[in-house]
Amino acid sequence: MDHTKQEGEYGYELFPHRNMGKNKQGSIAEGQFTFNHKCQIMLQFAMETSPYAKLLLSAMKNSGCKLFKDRHFSCEDCDGTVSGGFDASSSQIVLCQNNIRQQSHMNRVVTHELVHAFDHCRADVDWFNNLRHLACSEIRAANLSGDCSFSTEAARFNFGLKQHHQDCVRGRAIRSILAVRKIGQEEAEKIVNEVFNTCFNDHAPFGRIPHSKKDANFAYRDYENRDRYYSNL
Amino acid sequence: MDRSGQKLWRPPRACDDYWSEFRHCKSLWNRFHHYYTHGTSPSCQQWKEDYRNCREWEKRKSTEAKEALQRSERNRVAEQTKFTPVWKLRQYPPRDWNMPLNQDKPQDS
Repeated sequence: MDHTKQEGEYGYELFPHRNMGKNKQGSIAEGQFTFNHKCQIMLQFAMETSPYAKLLLSAMKNSGCKLFKDRHFSCEDCDGTVSGGFDASSSQIVLCQNNIRQQSHMNRVVTHELVHAFDHCRADVDWFNNLRHLACSEIRAANLSGDCSFSTEAARFNFGLKQHHQDCVRGRAIRSILAVRKIGQEEAEKIVNEVFNTCFNDHAPFGRIPHSKKDANFAYRDYENRDRYYSNL
Repeated sequence: MDRSGQKLWRPPRACDDYWSEFRHCKSLWNRFHHYYTHGTSPSCQQWKEDYRNCREWEKRKSTEAKEALQRSERNRVAEQTKFTPVWKLRQYPPRDWNMPLNQDKPQDS
């Protein structure tokens, strides 16, 4: 893989431990150890119990990208308020152990990053050079992960009702792009608007927008049933 | 009963699945979420229709029921794929998906 990307251009500065080598597990600070340990536990719980995560893990396995916890997930300290990221160059999902404090948040972040990983697995996503690709994956991740569910938005004191979900998805996609690329607000908005309709309606692998755990369970049921479904269409 | 040379057809979903989708669609929570997402009320009748056709097929092996069910499900698939993707789908997964993490990455900045 090409490693000549400049750090400052692609948001890598948000994840200062990415290029430090594999010593994150051997950190000497006690606080670090606790955060890391808690992150690992919450990650394991999310992978085993969240229907969102389970569906994505299953879909990725069936697409040839089976995920191994030790290889494809990394709990690290991150800057600012960022919760996680997907590093395409190392095929890893980064979880910000210092910013994820609750299981529900972990579930959402894992789902969000798994959507990116899923897109990377099934499509030729040009993460570094094609902003439309980046925008599309961010729209999908915000749409399908529960990032923009009513309760999650209400917890941020964003009280909207009619079609607020779409406003939220648009806004969060723009924010995500601005966090990792040095472009202006207007340009980010333009790109997101260009691809919004297509990407908002791409619900793979869920087959629907999972508004709640119940939706996600239904989607998981459908996914497990897909062989019967497609062979009897 | 398998016709010679034909694979035995059965509804794409178990009949109970159609019913549970219908109930879920009509639920207060779902109607709220649908309005929150799309600004409209969900339309749930098709699930009920599909359930009816599914049971009809189970009872009487009616060809009309089978075809109606197939039409409905094909519509659903079409609804999910009526956009043009911004990216090209891969033929194979990324080659470096399982490559070991490089401990001695070359310094490049």
